[in-house]
Amino acid sequence: MLAYLLLLVPTPPLAGFVLLALDPYRLDRRAVRAAALVAGCAPLVVMAPMALAHLTGFWGDQIAPIFTLHVGNYEVALAVGLDTLSAVTALTVTFVSACVLIYALDYMSGARNADLRRFFALMNLFQAGMLSMVLAADSITFFLGWELMGLCSFFLISYNMTSPRAFAAGQKAFVITRIADAALLAGLLLLFLEAGSVRLAELIPAGAALDTARGPLIAALLLVGAMGKSAQFPFHTWLPTAMAGPTPVSALLHSATMVAAGAVLLARFAPVLAANDSVAAATAVAGVVTALFGAASAVAQTDVKRLLAYSSISQIGYMLVAVGVGVPAVAMAHFVVHALFKSLLFMASGVLAHAGAGGTSIAALRGTARRAPISFAAFAAGAASLAGLPLVTAGWWSKEAILASAFEAGWLGLGVWAVGLTAAALTAVYAFRPVFTALRAPETETPRGRESWLAVGPLVVLAVLALAGGLGVKPLTELLGGHPPHPALWVELAGAAAALLGIAGSAAVTFLPALAGRVARARRLRAGLQMDARYYALLVRPYRRFVRRLSGGRGEWVTRVVAPGRGTEGVERELEGAVRHARQPEGATSDPVGQATVVLGLWVWRALLLPFSPDRMDMAWMQGARGIGRAAERARRLQTGRVRDYALALALGLAALLLIGWGMTWR
Amino acid sequence: MTGVSVLLAIAAGLFAAGLFGVLARRTILMQLISLEIMLAGPALAFVAAGAHHGMVEGTAMFLIVLALAAAEVALGLAIYLQLRRDAGDGDADAARRLRG
Repeated sequence: MLAYLLLLVPTPPLAGFVLLALDPYRLDRRAVRAAALVAGCAPLVVMAPMALAHLTGFWGDQIAPIFTLHVGNYEVALAVGLDTLSAVTALTVTFVSACVLIYALDYMSGARNADLRRFFALMNLFQAGMLSMVLAADSITFFLGWELMGLCSFFLISYNMTSPRAFAAGQKAFVITRIADAALLAGLLLLFLEAGSVRLAELIPAGAALDTARGPLIAALLLVGAMGKSAQFPFHTWLPTAMAGPTPVSALLHSATMVAAGAVLLARFAPVLAANDSVAAATAVAGVVTALFGAASAVAQTDVKRLLAYSSISQIGYMLVAVGVGVPAVAMAHFVVHALFKSLLFMASGVLAHAGAGGTSIAALRGTARRAPISFAAFAAGAASLAGLPLVTAGWWSKEAILASAFEAGWLGLGVWAVGLTAAALTAVYAFRPVFTALRAPETETPRGRESWLAVGPLVVLAVLALAGGLGVKPLTELLGGHPPHPALWVELAGAAAALLGIAGSAAVTFLPALAGRVARARRLRAGLQMDARYYALLVRPYRRFVRRLSGGRGEWVTRVVAPGRGTEGVERELEGAVRHARQPEGATSDPVGQATVVLGLWVWRALLLPFSPDRMDMAWMQGARGIGRAAERARRLQTGRVRDYALALALGLAALLLIGWGMTWR
Repeated sequence: MTGVSVLLAIAAGLFAAGLFGVLARRTILMQLISLEIMLAGPALAFVAAGAHHGMVEGTAMFLIVLALAAAEVALGLAIYLQLRRDAGDGDADAARRLRG
């Protein structure tokens, strides 16, 4: 029965969302903040004892069935469950999101004309989505949480509704993750057909035991789903633009939730991947390519939030590498560490940007080390952890474990290790660029600013964990059922050297004007190899054109009926040249074969397609909808308001009932 | 036709006459009187049926109907007074703010 306490983890944020979204009490700002705080921190209060009880071995694996349905051989069973993986991830998620919410209370109340109610309602819903995903014991709850997060990320990224840029960014994030989610859904459904149950405990072994061609297909579909959510190359384009959202949103999206969800998915379904060598290898390669690509792009960024976004892409790439080389436990250790230092970096950069000259560009950070010393120290701790400063930071321990595991994983792993090492050096280069810039003397001297304890408190806690958390990496890996690698000494030294070399490079890039100029000019790299523009030219624009053509140049014929025969100009204009050519006498004689195809095409067009254009289906539908309106117009005349008419209706109804009753007994 | 059938026919007639009054009259006072006549129909039916079967429950039900009628008249008169105050006269059709 105690397992049902698990339900109390995602419920408080959900209740917070319902309360704040419906707002029956017309809460004032203070009450909104209090409600959001309680709803955001309650999961941690509930989860921490349960996770600790489980991790110390006091409390075994739990499962709390919610709803079960048997259909033939298939079983649909909704449930939440607690195992080591979900305990670790849920603890991380609840902790980081509580920190982010506390920080957001201070950050958002400073923002101009902030709609706190909408903001916190969505943050709480987002939390609920991630928590139900990590605690899910069946694929339906898992997918629901996954999709809920996708939806909330759209709303949160486009939180600033007056900015078209923010809206476009949210739309992009939504569409790209949706494409990958389709692959995930297909993979989960195929797994369901194989296993006959939605319980993860049955799905995963069934998926791993498959030896038909479906096995690799399912694994590949899951991989694509994870890559889309985790913004892995080539789906990465949505993440850097998602920076249009407020800083706490980025801190939540990029650390423990949303982008990390892909890594959680792969760690959860690791046995399925491990059973298919080719897909596992593809995972490792995709991860390491993304790690290198993200790190290289991050070096060229001029905006600190975009830099951190590319760094998230790159770090999640490392997690994919770990899953790909068969050590999901190490991937999850890196997930925990990354969640700690990435949320720390985002939140600290938000404070620094406020303290600095304004804006989130790296150049604007100059001198902020003096204006906001505590936040700067926290940021430096996070950057050190991100760069993997040897021995003293948590980031080094987890990243080193990933690289060493790759090194031990055969010849492909050797290549992955080499590329990963390069990426690690680049990581150190970009991680310390904002730190060194903040250390430089400011152009104008300003007094030390006030740092609110509400914002700084979470930063200090996270900074301590980002440094000292390294002690926990090895036990965590063992708890999750993995074996920490024992690489040769020179492999570890190479990893340490990469980080130190990178920090030296970072200092060079910041302080040497010649190198700094080259970084500033690396525009192609800054735009992430311009994948965005290419996608736009290759996919988005043609698709929009296609849609516009189908709708006859107007997108609105669903809402009003267009006379038949109209709305077809688009296609006919396309055909016009061919038609004119075919109708010319010399055209006809010179090319009878070509004419035949055009005439045939036109005939097909007139006979088969024209009757449906503009879509008869739409017209019928709208006519039906309007008919309901007319019927309602007539029905309201029944409401005369006269008591006598109602009495008559009552009497007639009674008479009818009596007649029916009499008819039923009549023989 | 036996005695009880005659009485039941009279009861049905009372009910129908009352119903006609409720539907046809516009004055609330008259509608209330018609309602009383409507109630008298079932009451008579109860008494007649009780007498026919030799059971006292019929008469007991008549007392309950009587109490019901008294309560109903109290409510009805309150509505009547309120309507007089609002609309100036006891026209039931004047109170039609619920019209759709």
